[in-house]
Amino acid sequence: MKRVIVACGSGVATSQTVASKVKRILSEKKISAEVEAVDIKSLDHLIKNCDVYVAITKPKKAYGIPTLNGIAFLTGLGMDAEVEKLIAALK
Amino acid sequence: MDVLTNVVQYVLNLGASVFVPIIMLIIGICARMKFKDAISAAIIFGVAFAGMNLVVGFMLDSISPAAQAFAKNTGIALTAVDGGWTTGASITWAWPLAFLIFPITIGVNIVMLALKWTKTLNVDMWNVWGKAFTAIMVSYISGNVYLGFVVVVIQIIIELKIGDIWGKEIEELTGIPGVTVPHHMTIIASLLYPINQLMDKIPMFNKKMDADALKEKLGVFAENHVMGAIVGFLLGLVAGYGVSKSLILAVQAATALTLFPMVSKLFMQALSPISEAISDFMRKHFNNREILIGLDWPILAGRNELWVTAILLIPVELLFAVILPGNKVLPFGGIINLSIVVAVVLLARGNLLRMVVYGVITTPVFLYLATFFAPYMTRLAQETHAVKVPAGSMLTWSTMENGEFKFAFSEAMAGKWWGILLAVVWIALFVYFYFGRKKENAKRYHDEAKAEGFES
Repeated sequence: MKRVIVACGSGVATSQTVASKVKRILSEKKISAEVEAVDIKSLDHLIKNCDVYVAITKPKKAYGIPTLNGIAFLTGLGMDAEVEKLIAALK
Repeated sequence: MDVLTNVVQYVLNLGASVFVPIIMLIIGICARMKFKDAISAAIIFGVAFAGMNLVVGFMLDSISPAAQAFAKNTGIALTAVDGGWTTGASITWAWPLAFLIFPITIGVNIVMLALKWTKTLNVDMWNVWGKAFTAIMVSYISGNVYLGFVVVVIQIIIELKIGDIWGKEIEELTGIPGVTVPHHMTIIASLLYPINQLMDKIPMFNKKMDADALKEKLGVFAENHVMGAIVGFLLGLVAGYGVSKSLILAVQAATALTLFPMVSKLFMQALSPISEAISDFMRKHFNNREILIGLDWPILAGRNELWVTAILLIPVELLFAVILPGNKVLPFGGIINLSIVVAVVLLARGNLLRMVVYGVITTPVFLYLATFFAPYMTRLAQETHAVKVPAGSMLTWSTMENGEFKFAFSEAMAGKWWGILLAVVWIALFVYFYFGRKKENAKRYHDEAKAEGFES
């Protein structure tokens, strides 16, 4: 199964908000994938084996996988475009 | 009426892990969630409570004996164990009235927007817990739960006002326009603002420093398991445990700190359908005019100054905990002081040296406030049956967000003259900050806009 990783400052609230939303969108579109909220301080270890990274902050490094703008999922602005990218990355 | 009271009492006696999920289920059904989704969210909430109970209990069982041994060896009694904000959130959600803060938060925001008193639309529904926490502390100290809600309304207004200010700083620091962080923890910046004005005049405090390189080197210490292991090992040594027992304590401490966020994200998982519905509703009704969308602080988490400052403060906190007379707090779960670093990254506009200075000078304040609030947090844990605290120990949060505000306003509400004085001084400082910073920002960003205009 493909894996989506969302990171925020402590891996509790913001990343889980986005992760829950992503999970709901994926289940509506009948796409199965694991979505996990993690602590950004440990992102470098945890991002291995993931297929998509949803970033709350501007990534300073390239991880070699599709990276989405997580803020769009919080504000709703530009979310549709990010959802399209997500689906393309998981197909 | 008696029957109703009995039913309510019966449900409350079952403890937070049962009655809060029942409340969640009722809210979910009222909000027309599908029954299976509502029941799933409700059970996850119960799991989060039971899980936090396990982890906090595990932390207390391993840390408290070491703290007691340390006290015996040295005479320094650090009996209030720091469970950090995750523990604070967990016992707060267990408070029977916590969910009432949702409609209050939304109501005050709608009124403030309608009257054009704010531009901030706060869609961060997670930090409702921080307002509930204020309500609890004020009601415990003043003895009046209504006064707790009065202070919460004041807090919500101040959060929205500071949200109006931070929009500019956030855009400068993150590059994201149209959002802000109306978070309770940033409000301590208003008390530090006069110092910031002084620093503006000192050349040393106006140089740029490279935090990114430092973060690369030090970043590993901010990882929960690494930090937990180090603190646990040190605690074992000073407790006179010897190396082998200290190593065991190190792994236990690392376990507690690793599991805290893993378990407490279950709360957010359970709350997400409610919080999503609320933020969709708010955006739909107010998005047609110029507003700032209020989000939780992690949109700033990419600023490495934040992590470097937090890491540098860890030894400072441990040192102060030992040398400050009257301190009872053993820094542990809250040792990454988000409550100061998020506020000062905004106040200092990312200037690392200033941030570290603010962190150091406020550390004693954080420890004394955590000592002051420890008995009340312990009482909350016990009354709600959310966490068992062993006799002779207390539970606290070493880096409590905006504790000065809670302290001043709860003592004011308790009718103490000096509490009222402190609350007045607090408001005066906030007003000074609000207008001073607004003017400063208008000048700074106007100048920048002009400079950009010249270039293009």
